[in-house]
Amino acid sequence: MKQRTSRRPTVNLVINGNPQVLEVGVEVQPWHTLNYTLREVLSLKGTKVGCSHGGCGSCTVLREGKPILSCTTLTIECNGASIMTIEGLRDTSVMTAGGMRGTTTGNLHPLQQAFIDNYAFECGMCTSGMILSAEALLNSNPDPTEDDIKEALSGNLCRCGVYPNIVKAVHEAAKVKKND
Amino acid sequence: MKPFQHVNASTTDEAASLLHKSRGKAKLIAGGTDLLGILTDDILPAYPRTLVNLKTIPGLDSIKEDSKGLRIGALAKLSDIAGHPVIKDRYPMIARAAGSVAMPQVRNMGTIGGNLCQDNRCWYYRYPNHLGGRLICLRKGGTICYTLTRDNRLDSIFGGPEGCFAVCPSDIATSLVAMGATVTTTRRAVALQDFFTPSPGTILDADEILTEIQVPRPREGSRSAYLKFRLRKSIDFAMVNVACVLTVEGGLCREASIVLGAVAPTPWRAKGAEDVLRGRLVDDAAAEEAGQIALANATPLTMNKYKVAIARVLVKRAILASA
Repeated sequence: MKQRTSRRPTVNLVINGNPQVLEVGVEVQPWHTLNYTLREVLSLKGTKVGCSHGGCGSCTVLREGKPILSCTTLTIECNGASIMTIEGLRDTSVMTAGGMRGTTTGNLHPLQQAFIDNYAFECGMCTSGMILSAEALLNSNPDPTEDDIKEALSGNLCRCGVYPNIVKAVHEAAKVKKND
Repeated sequence: MKPFQHVNASTTDEAASLLHKSRGKAKLIAGGTDLLGILTDDILPAYPRTLVNLKTIPGLDSIKEDSKGLRIGALAKLSDIAGHPVIKDRYPMIARAAGSVAMPQVRNMGTIGGNLCQDNRCWYYRYPNHLGGRLICLRKGGTICYTLTRDNRLDSIFGGPEGCFAVCPSDIATSLVAMGATVTTTRRAVALQDFFTPSPGTILDADEILTEIQVPRPREGSRSAYLKFRLRKSIDFAMVNVACVLTVEGGLCREASIVLGAVAPTPWRAKGAEDVLRGRLVDDAAAEEAGQIALANATPLTMNKYKVAIARVLVKRAILASA
């Protein structure tokens, strides 16, 4: 493992459960947004870039479980934070038996599966953000009403207008998660 | 965004001293939801050399209540205010106003101090530098307010004392002024309504920091309502918002406090409407009359007469909802 010998300040993040140490001045500049760091430094392209002004929600990630906008968050201000992106939702547990032993299951999260099953997207631009906002909702409210879902997703703009299917998908995922 | 340095402050004194030493080259960052948009679009001729982070100052985000009332640290997040059990119970209008700001993600980031100190939303003022150059409007030291001769549908209906017709966009400000809130800065304590100025927006000196908002306990038996009209029910800033606090005893109005937002460069107190309600039975006719009076002195621009109609109806509805 590479030893870090420089005395540069670092930004320590936990991204989808994996610790990341980013050196300020090397991997992170003070003016870098979390969106830029995730996509361009860590190559996690599942987080989208939409309006870059905090108006569309397509860059939504979870910080300590709460949805925030990665486009108007400075990476340097996330030191010590735990960040979840869409890549972190897939089942990463390792299979212990069978021919695929040792590899991750890669199973889709119930929300991801429900979005597919309910045609809850067309172009997919809003989907990462939608699913993460919905994930935060289901973690705090496992049995949401339609209004709860609409309120929780009110900061995620879908330019294709698939909202009814998205609400259906979140309802379905809530049921699946409860039965797990 | 163009480069800048970043410093985490550990006390408000340290942050104020950094501002002072920078001679205008440093900016404060709280939630960042407004500032980072401004920096991304590079709308102001002066770009900061340093951002001073206030989120690292311990205790500046506290929410406390005692016998006098509520004390909210300037760095308290809007989502924490909207969901706070004491605020929801005893100061419901503030919880509603905080919960009406933008969207869940922004409320998880944005702070009450930032909401009060945010810059205006005039689209000429905010025009991005990378799309053919920023506009040097009157507010930036230029000679023209672009709104006057162009699209002014979102601007002031009560004039522009300093020549700028951009409105105060804060949702929280409207409700807090109606509740008689006061604020403390690193330099002084003032009534919130005196905190705002038409331009540049607040009384804050270049090295002064808003630290706390105090809200007195609502009068016994008073009721309040906060209404916000916007184009989309989510995300959008208010086209008009109204906060109303009424104390009704024996069917008659004893005290009234009515404030309109997004209609003028600062929160707009509807004093005439308050006066006409005092001592009266609060019924449909009284509320209608108060709405008429609240907007009687409006001087809409070429494209925003519709805001007068919206404001009149919102005042009426807010009065009836808090009667």
